[in-house]
Amino acid sequence: MESGIKRAGIAHRLLMLLLMIYLLLPLLATCIYAFAQEWQTTVLPERWTLEWFGEMFRDLRFLESLWTSLYLCLISVAISLIVMLPAVFVITVYLPKWESFMKGLVVLPYAVPGVVAAVGLIRAYSSGPLEIAGTAYILIGAYFVVVLPYMYQGIRNSLLTVSAGPLLAAAELLGASRTRAFASVILPNIWPGVLVSSLLSFSVLFGEFVLTNMLVGGQIQTIQVYLYHRVGESGHLASAIAITYFVFILLLSALLMKLGQKMNGGLKG
Amino acid sequence: MSVYLELQGIRKRFGHTSVLDDVNLQIREGELVTLLGPSGCGKSTLLRCIAGLADLDGGQILLERRDIAPLPPRSREIGMVFQSYALFPNLTVGENVEYGMKMRGVAKADRRRRSEELLAVVELTDKRDAYPQHLSGGQQQRVALARSLAVRPKVLLLDEPLSALDAQIRKNLRAEIRAIQQRFNMTTIFVTHDQEEALTLSDRVCLMNKGRIVQEGTPEQIYTRPRTEFVARFMGSYNVLTRPEALKLFDGLEGSADSFAIRPESVVLLSGSAQPLPADKRIVEGTICAVSLLGSIIRYAIDAAGVRLTIDALNDGRSLPLAERSPVLLALDESQLLHLEKEGA
Repeated sequence: MESGIKRAGIAHRLLMLLLMIYLLLPLLATCIYAFAQEWQTTVLPERWTLEWFGEMFRDLRFLESLWTSLYLCLISVAISLIVMLPAVFVITVYLPKWESFMKGLVVLPYAVPGVVAAVGLIRAYSSGPLEIAGTAYILIGAYFVVVLPYMYQGIRNSLLTVSAGPLLAAAELLGASRTRAFASVILPNIWPGVLVSSLLSFSVLFGEFVLTNMLVGGQIQTIQVYLYHRVGESGHLASAIAITYFVFILLLSALLMKLGQKMNGGLKG
Repeated sequence: MSVYLELQGIRKRFGHTSVLDDVNLQIREGELVTLLGPSGCGKSTLLRCIAGLADLDGGQILLERRDIAPLPPRSREIGMVFQSYALFPNLTVGENVEYGMKMRGVAKADRRRRSEELLAVVELTDKRDAYPQHLSGGQQQRVALARSLAVRPKVLLLDEPLSALDAQIRKNLRAEIRAIQQRFNMTTIFVTHDQEEALTLSDRVCLMNKGRIVQEGTPEQIYTRPRTEFVARFMGSYNVLTRPEALKLFDGLEGSADSFAIRPESVVLLSGSAQPLPADKRIVEGTICAVSLLGSIIRYAIDAAGVRLTIDALNDGRSLPLAERSPVLLALDESQLLHLEKEGA
């Protein structure tokens, strides 16, 4: 029995190792390439350099595109939060009959390929009452739809986990108005889950390329569009950008996780 | 005592199915009334309607002669304890108890005094700063009880508060709830599907089935005088007999009832031949089919004149448990045979 467990342990570890290699090897190669000056016939580069990073940070367009991506994604996630939090709450707690309909609705964006969606959006919004094709507004609108499933599922699961229904009933019977009950006993309890979905949504948007490039590629340069344009120039530079981008997301995730844990601290006691 | 809470013609439908059908109930101040019934009988829905968590489709809820049905839950002055406790996980025990008072704008010092008083009542003074998830189920339910009592509600509703707890804790907390209820003279409605719980706890029991109250009375009345077959079957291990079966045991039976009931403990087993046969009872021969020991009583399944009966004998050590397949004599008392009404009559 014991040896059986041990063998399984080794197999599991081996599998994990393979998975890690599979996932991390490209990243490692990119990282090395970003710091390499000459890397032709050897296993590791012959000479190292920070030149690519220097060039990248000297390029104003890089910092600009990073900033553009950051605020566009932040605005989109914030709008999504403001709309979806009350909406999902009302549906989950008061209108459970609509749940199956909502489930279908939120996965609808995945039924349409990105290219088709982009062409459709451009045609729909390049004339008529809402002429926003090529502007940041259409991008934010599209981003909102892209993160819909993540936000919906995340918020819904959090609400179900804390059994929002009875909590709300208890608070109301104790004299709280619905809004006050929501703010005092629902929101603090679902916050960690909501934060994680927001973080996930943000990362998805940050890495989004197809829709962005087609919708506003000519007008607005997000980090992904910028990266796409620079890949052709120099592989080293593109690697440096990719690594910087990765580190940026990593730091952001760590920060938000920390924040989530801090808020959770009250819960865990 | 006059009527304190009165339900008049309560109706509730979910789609096309009627969940509550013309429910009428009068409760006096300080009374503990149990709504008892199988799952799906509408007892929890009735409780939610009284609390204002579900809308009525008809009827009135009069609390001190004032109709509270149009009011939102927070204005009804009704407290409720849930099966799932529904404690706020982001607040400490003390904050949970004080939540209602805070919402009603009670001053901090008063809140503190009241919550300390109630935590002392439920014996959780030392858990004041703990979070609910660090307490046991029984402790959590006591916090929930203290929390709902803190705002001095006029009526307390308990929705299967003990169902999620272990048997031993359930018994202790049951007695504790009754003691607290009597101490505060709290008008209380207690919902349960456990007939033992209902019998030990209540001033009055309302047995519900299919959205109606089928019988109400003191625990004694409900247990000893079930009116219909449903009540007889639900309230215990009553032997329910059809008319032909009853005639096999009691020939020359009077009355026009179609079904009858007899309590398992009212039939006496005569095992030894030495005993004189009681003259005022009917003696029937039978065979023991199965014996099970339930602690203080021994339960026999007996085949008597082709009728299957359950019979309980006190396990007092005076008679050894009879073996399976052994013949016995049963002494049946016709005055103990209940004539049941038709369902819905």
